[in-house]
Amino acid sequence: MNSTPTLLNRILLTILGLKLLAIGLLLMLLATVPAVAAWWHSWSPGVWNGINQMFNATRFPGRTQSWLWIIVALVLLLLIGLMVAWIAQQGKGRSNVLASEYDPGEVPGDVRIGGGVAEQALKHALAGRPDLAGATVTTYDVKGTPALKVRLLPRQGVAPHLLAAEISELLAALETVVGRETPVLIHIGAGARTRFGRAERVR
Amino acid sequence: MSSRVEAGDRRSRNPEGRDNGRRPDMRRVVYRETHSTRAAVAIAAAVLVTVFAAYGLLEAAVHAIGQPAWLIEPQVAAQRIVALPAGITPLLLGAIGAVVAMVGLVFLLNGILPGRRARHLLSGHAPGRPAVVVDDEVIASSLARRARLAANVTPEQVMVVVSQRQVLVNVRPTSGVPVDEGTVLAAIQDELDQMALDPSPAARVNVAPSGVVGA
Repeated sequence: MNSTPTLLNRILLTILGLKLLAIGLLLMLLATVPAVAAWWHSWSPGVWNGINQMFNATRFPGRTQSWLWIIVALVLLLLIGLMVAWIAQQGKGRSNVLASEYDPGEVPGDVRIGGGVAEQALKHALAGRPDLAGATVTTYDVKGTPALKVRLLPRQGVAPHLLAAEISELLAALETVVGRETPVLIHIGAGARTRFGRAERVR
Repeated sequence: MSSRVEAGDRRSRNPEGRDNGRRPDMRRVVYRETHSTRAAVAIAAAVLVTVFAAYGLLEAAVHAIGQPAWLIEPQVAAQRIVALPAGITPLLLGAIGAVVAMVGLVFLLNGILPGRRARHLLSGHAPGRPAVVVDDEVIASSLARRARLAANVTPEQVMVVVSQRQVLVNVRPTSGVPVDEGTVLAAIQDELDQMALDPSPAARVNVAPSGVVGA
């Protein structure tokens, strides 16, 4: 429901996983197979010499340090920034507007209904139910359209389809009040509160 | 009020057939709800990369301004890596390699496996109604209650395991009171038919040969 970039997560995790796996396998082979160690000794000094020469060629005039270090530092800084941006993308997408519409009436302006309307109304309607251990209602912004997510924590033994049908009635009533169809997702879940709470006996 | 809002709908992106435009969107929402987003693993990976990059940044910056290195001089580190099987015990090197490869494998599998969550979609709903996603645990506890009533045993004597395509009901009868497998299966099947789960699991009832005394 939220706008976590799932495809980006998969791609980046796959790339990172492949790299770490390759490094780990190389280290293991270096430790165990002499032939790999021999290949490593023939291959790596050449690469290292190339890098060394590059650093030597890019010294500051009159000093021993290479300005390549500053480039390396900047690249690493950029990498850190990208990682922070990646973390910031996780779990985004909450919004607080349920409906916003141009009002063609006499009064100029738009009509906006906050997400709090649905959240408070549904929470209040669900508060007294004995078969629920908890309920949360959140408004999300799914690709520009507002959507509601209703998370229900029923007590043990509650039939999910009957519960869903009753909540659907409530949502239909809410839609008539708001005057607009909102995509709704009902998630009937289980948590610590339902696992260790008392079971539902009546019904 | 509703009609006025409909009349002013020209500013929304799809004024006609909003329901048609909404369907694929809802399918995507349901897919995202029944599959892992890998947010936790992604954050762990990002933190790992950030820590290494921060250390590299520190050493590079220290080197750039001509100060002595903090932990290890980059040249020395590179020379050690070039000379690798020497200078370290093979056991330690192999252990480090194994740990790195294991972490890499965890990330890789998280990236390429489908990552399905233990949830089902209730498909017995009209198109305009809300989409309903249910945790398997909730389905199991509901089925357990139904099986308990059908078999006339206590809650402790029924155990239900719900997986993607299979429902397994284990019943331990009370000693001396036989449990009819067919009755329990019929009750479970009826409950499953009412739920109309997607993907639809096959039900199996397993009555234990030994009974419980004093239940």
